[in-house]
Amino acid sequence: MREIEGRRRLASRIERFHGVGLERVMAEIEYLRDDGDTVIAGGSLAHGLGNGLSDLDMLVSSPAAVKSSRVPLEHFLGSLRVDVWKLGQGAIEASFGRAEEALASERPLLGRFGDSDHEDEFKLLHRIAFGLVLDGDGLELEGQGRDWRGVASGLVLREYAERMRAAALVAQLALRAGRPIAAAVNARLAVESALNAALTARGFPFVSDKWLGERLGDAIGLADLYEPFRRLPADPAGEGAGFADAALVACAELWELDLGFEAVVPLARWRRSEELRLASAGGEQLLLAPRSGAVWALEQGEAGAWRRLEAEAGEQGWALAGRDPEETTLCVRLFELGLLGLGWTEGVPAAALGAGREVGA
Amino acid sequence: MRAIEADARRYAWCRSQALWTFGMTTRGYLEDARGAQLAGQDALLRFAARMIGETCAVALNVALNQERPLPGPAMRASWALERLEGHELRQLCWELIRGSDDVPAEEILERCEALVGGSAAVIGEMPDPLTPQGHIPAIALARDWIKLMELLDEESLVPPGWALRD
Repeated sequence: MREIEGRRRLASRIERFHGVGLERVMAEIEYLRDDGDTVIAGGSLAHGLGNGLSDLDMLVSSPAAVKSSRVPLEHFLGSLRVDVWKLGQGAIEASFGRAEEALASERPLLGRFGDSDHEDEFKLLHRIAFGLVLDGDGLELEGQGRDWRGVASGLVLREYAERMRAAALVAQLALRAGRPIAAAVNARLAVESALNAALTARGFPFVSDKWLGERLGDAIGLADLYEPFRRLPADPAGEGAGFADAALVACAELWELDLGFEAVVPLARWRRSEELRLASAGGEQLLLAPRSGAVWALEQGEAGAWRRLEAEAGEQGWALAGRDPEETTLCVRLFELGLLGLGWTEGVPAAALGAGREVGA
Repeated sequence: MRAIEADARRYAWCRSQALWTFGMTTRGYLEDARGAQLAGQDALLRFAARMIGETCAVALNVALNQERPLPGPAMRASWALERLEGHELRQLCWELIRGSDDVPAEEILERCEALVGGSAAVIGEMPDPLTPQGHIPAIALARDWIKLMELLDEESLVPPGWALRD
């Protein structure tokens, strides 16, 4: 019943926005169809969001062995853009399988199913679990009867909880390294990640980060929590520390997780993004990144800090804990240059995520 | 003949990153901002404006200062803003990244369009891949840059086989 109503509302919106009927859309993508396949609409328009310039996201799942696309095939029907992913059922089952495995493990999830640049895997799983079936009998995935919506939601919840933790740590590191804009940007990001996780916990299907603010209007209490953090301070150097502290308090209260520096730092490692070498030439200390063809001149203190770090180089990267201020500042600067990444020794435990009690308000 | 005053690999990497990042991402967010403004979706408009500010700052920095590699998303805004100090578009980038609760929706959209226009004058124009007229030309342009990167044995914009799932 809900599916029928959903289809009717979707058809009415694209007719109103673009003067295009759903049957015309289906005719346009007919060439992508196979016997026994299923057509699903996902994305903002299917979830009652979107606007007159939003595209329509669709997915054609075929039981036949087909090459599955990572990027959509675009179609233009007047002013309506229709993005279609053609996917073999095997690829979908494999995605859900990976997601279930990841959720059962305590390993960090962060970025494994899409990062803030590419959210394709999240979106795929959510489109299947929460999308509107427009034609076909629905997917008969292996393991029918399993809670696919639970898997898709669990993945977003864990991922965003880990994003919150990572952003909280970066905000605190940036403050210590005298990078106030980075501190404020990441403090806001931590709050937004906490809120995205909270929306998922309340049963809102994930669409993408850009719809967070619009969705908060439907979630009692969460919009007020966001309000102080919508805008960065005018003077990050003077107000950034207070802004970041308040953001971390808001996240911790929402999820009952300790995001303080001392609690989080033991779980994080610096990892090199590419091979780096220190070389001396004519009294200059030069840090080389041969793959990028880049070089930076280091001050004496920075070169000393690099040598101390280098002496501990190992496959697991460098611990963040126990660093002196010079080493921390150098690592943050290298992180800001894209030469170091942050890794985690463990994910945010599922048990800890069960605790956020404002979340279920 | 005009000499390109840069190492060939760095020139190709920076120019293609700036064009592609700017061309693809800002077009999408500008479309979001316009749609949001028409529909009265204030939160979406302000989010899209933030992303336009950040994307333009990053693309301008890569184009003007030929900086590489790109930092991760967490540090891109501060990385780009610091290096754009003194540039005429820096303040507009910062205002959009910061967020703009006290500015009316129409003005936010105007600021986004001004920044995208100003950035295009520095970075170069690219066909709009989100329109029927620009979609194929944008793919053709990307193909040209990918071929140039291969010729220089340089890291490509996209890995081989990027369009297909495993």
